[in-house]
Amino acid sequence: MQLKYYSLTLLTLLVVFFTACQDEEYSLPTLEPGLHNDVIKRTLGPNVVGLNLEFAYAMALPQAEGKIISAQVEASIAGGPATYMEYRSFRTNSSGVDVPAIIGSPSVTSGTKTEVVFSKDTCAATLRYFYIIPEEARGKTVSFTFSAKASNGQTVTYSMGPYNIAKMDMKLDLVVSDNNNSYISIADMTAYNATTAAANAAKIDLVYLYRSYTTAAFNHALVAPSANPDYKPGITLPAGVSNSAKIWKVWALRDQHLARLQYGIYIDDVDFQQIDFTGAPDYAINLRAEAGTWVETADGTYRAYIYINKIDNAKKEMTISIKRFLMK
Amino acid sequence: MKKYFITFIVIALASFVWVSCSDFPVDEDGLLITTRGQCYVSNFELLGADFQTVRTKAAVIDTTAQTINAEVFFGTDLKNLYPQFSLVTDAKLDPKIVGKVDFSDLTNPKKWTVISGNRLVKKEYTVYITVQPKP
Repeated sequence: MQLKYYSLTLLTLLVVFFTACQDEEYSLPTLEPGLHNDVIKRTLGPNVVGLNLEFAYAMALPQAEGKIISAQVEASIAGGPATYMEYRSFRTNSSGVDVPAIIGSPSVTSGTKTEVVFSKDTCAATLRYFYIIPEEARGKTVSFTFSAKASNGQTVTYSMGPYNIAKMDMKLDLVVSDNNNSYISIADMTAYNATTAAANAAKIDLVYLYRSYTTAAFNHALVAPSANPDYKPGITLPAGVSNSAKIWKVWALRDQHLARLQYGIYIDDVDFQQIDFTGAPDYAINLRAEAGTWVETADGTYRAYIYINKIDNAKKEMTISIKRFLMK
Repeated sequence: MKKYFITFIVIALASFVWVSCSDFPVDEDGLLITTRGQCYVSNFELLGADFQTVRTKAAVIDTTAQTINAEVFFGTDLKNLYPQFSLVTDAKLDPKIVGKVDFSDLTNPKKWTVISGNRLVKKEYTVYITVQPKP
């Protein structure tokens, strides 16, 4: 009986050691013949009209088999006028710096196609492709077909996508001032002064003001025209400006597109669709730089996120960036 | 050898059964009921919709009068506040705070009951909010 238990234990240990000590020999990979390609998408976050979608397209074939003669990308929707493909292949040196090597002539874009023709004897290259998201793509999906041709007649293709293009709009670095452009329209994504605000009264959603008190922290504020007069001291609204926007104060939501800081946070369409404005007030006072506000216009047509890039107490002004979503 | 082996298994099983059947009472919330009889609020915080404090200074907690007095900034949206209570060890709060609380009715201050770890002592705290005067 004792022998039986010893044997069982020994066998278990052997199985464990056998599994743990299995050694796999390294062998050099063999070079596969023919032309190959691969693509990675480099941009992160939602795809907003006006921004770019960046890809890195790699292609190679064994030196003995020939050279690359062209690389092409076809988008399902033609990109904006600035869409291009790099004609330089980059490698990263030991210091982490991207070093370019020219491989051909600058890309030519015709409709949905962007092509680079190689002029250097190149058997391997990685080219960046920058697709500027056009207005026509808003709310749609866009796909890409990357292809390369070699001198031996071989061609390869690689499909990427589909990628959703966001419906939202964006406006960066709008300066609002207590003395001048203090009337903000979400519909127009712009700031008006008292005179021009009167002409656009129905579209004014927020009033910016700066007040410095020693007994209360008021400072920089965004209030709806309908807000209690306590929250807009000294403000005489232009004729017809009376909308009642809903405002949620937010702290530390530093959207990458708006803030352009190191935080990898992105506001997407779905955030606007899901936010609940029930019970939201119509004012936000004591706002600070890197804070923000979610806003819903009085008629519910638009929802927006206003990020505060910079405040200036001396000038009584604030630099804001807006992401806006059409709800209806 | 077989005898030792069986004995070992029996002892191991017995110890598992003993541990699993020990009596640790829990209440209806699944929280441990202990022997502690202390029952008080040790700290109070009030956060706005942006999860930043709205207090102008530390809240005054009177554990004898069972009151909490907190002054909030001018312009605080009293309808959308998140109160946070720190309680003595093992105590719990009733009603539970599950989201935003509306403090806008200043004439009817909100009340919460602190229940001790042994669930035998209950003390009702009243939270008085005052708003920083208009500048």
